[in-house]
Amino acid sequence: MTTNTYDGNEYLFELALFLATSARNCIEEPPLYGPFRLLDALSRLTDFPKHASGLVEDEFLNEVKVFVDEKKFLVTTDVEEFKKAADELVERFAKELKKRYLKSKKEE
Amino acid sequence: MDVFEAIKGRRSVRKYKSKPVEREVTGKLLEAARWAPSGGNIQPWLFIVLEDHGILEMVRKISPGYFGQAPLAILACSDKKRAQRIGGTLGRDYLTIADCAMAVQNIQLAAFALGLGTCVVKSFSHSAMKEILDIPEGIEPELIVIVGYPDSIPAPPRRTPLNEILYLNKFGQKLELKEARA
Repeated sequence: MTTNTYDGNEYLFELALFLATSARNCIEEPPLYGPFRLLDALSRLTDFPKHASGLVEDEFLNEVKVFVDEKKFLVTTDVEEFKKAADELVERFAKELKKRYLKSKKEE
Repeated sequence: MDVFEAIKGRRSVRKYKSKPVEREVTGKLLEAARWAPSGGNIQPWLFIVLEDHGILEMVRKISPGYFGQAPLAILACSDKKRAQRIGGTLGRDYLTIADCAMAVQNIQLAAFALGLGTCVVKSFSHSAMKEILDIPEGIEPELIVIVGYPDSIPAPPRRTPLNEILYLNKFGQKLELKEARA
C-alpha cells in the first residue's frame, strides 16, 4: 500500500475501501483475482502495526509480506507457480501456528 | 526508437520513482493517443490527466489493481452518447472500448520510447471513479494508465508460442512460422 505516514484509522479506512472495491470488482473479474486480492489484502494488513499504536510488528507476518509481494503477480504470468506459492504460504502459517502453540504450552 | 523494440520492451511497471513527468512529455503521450485508430473515426475518447497527489491517492484507493505511486495517471474515458450518435449501438457498446484500448496502447508505446514506465488498470470501482472525478452521465471511465519513471522493471512474462495461435486461411489449418527476433 502507500508509504505515506498514516494514522491507524486512516489506514484502516483505506484497507476497508480496498476490500469493498475488491469485493465488487471480483464479481466480474477473472476467478483467480479473488485469491490474488486476498493475498494482496494480507500483505496490506501486515502493515497495520506500522500505522496503529498499541500493535507490535510481527516478524513472521513481515516475512510473509515479503513472500506474498514477491509471488502475488504470478497470478498473471504463471498460474501453477501462483498456486504453489499459495500452498507454501499456508504451510508456513501452519508451521508457525504449531510453533506458537508449542511455545505457549511450554510457558504454561 | 524502433517500433518492435517498444512493443517487445514494454512491461507493466508497478514501482516508480517520484520524479515528476514533465507536462511536455505528457502532451506527447496524449498526442500519440489522439492518433490511434478509431472505428468509423468516431474518436469517442476523452482523457483526464491526473497529476494532483491527493486526487491520485483517491484514485489509487478505489482501484484494487493500482500498484505503485507514480506522479501521473491518465484516465481514458469514452463518450457513449457521441459514440451512439455516430456509430449506433456497435459504436456505443464495442468501438468505444476498442478505440480506448488502442489509444491506451499508443500511450504505452510512446511512454516506453520516452523512457517512462506504464501500467494499465481496469480493476477500479467504476462508480467511485465517477463520483470522485465528477464524471457526468454518458461519459464512462474505461482504463487508467499509470505513468512514471520506472524504479524497477519486471522480467518479460511468458507468451503463448506463435504456432499455437495461428491458422492459415481457415480455422484449424495450422500455420508454422518462425518467431521473428525483432
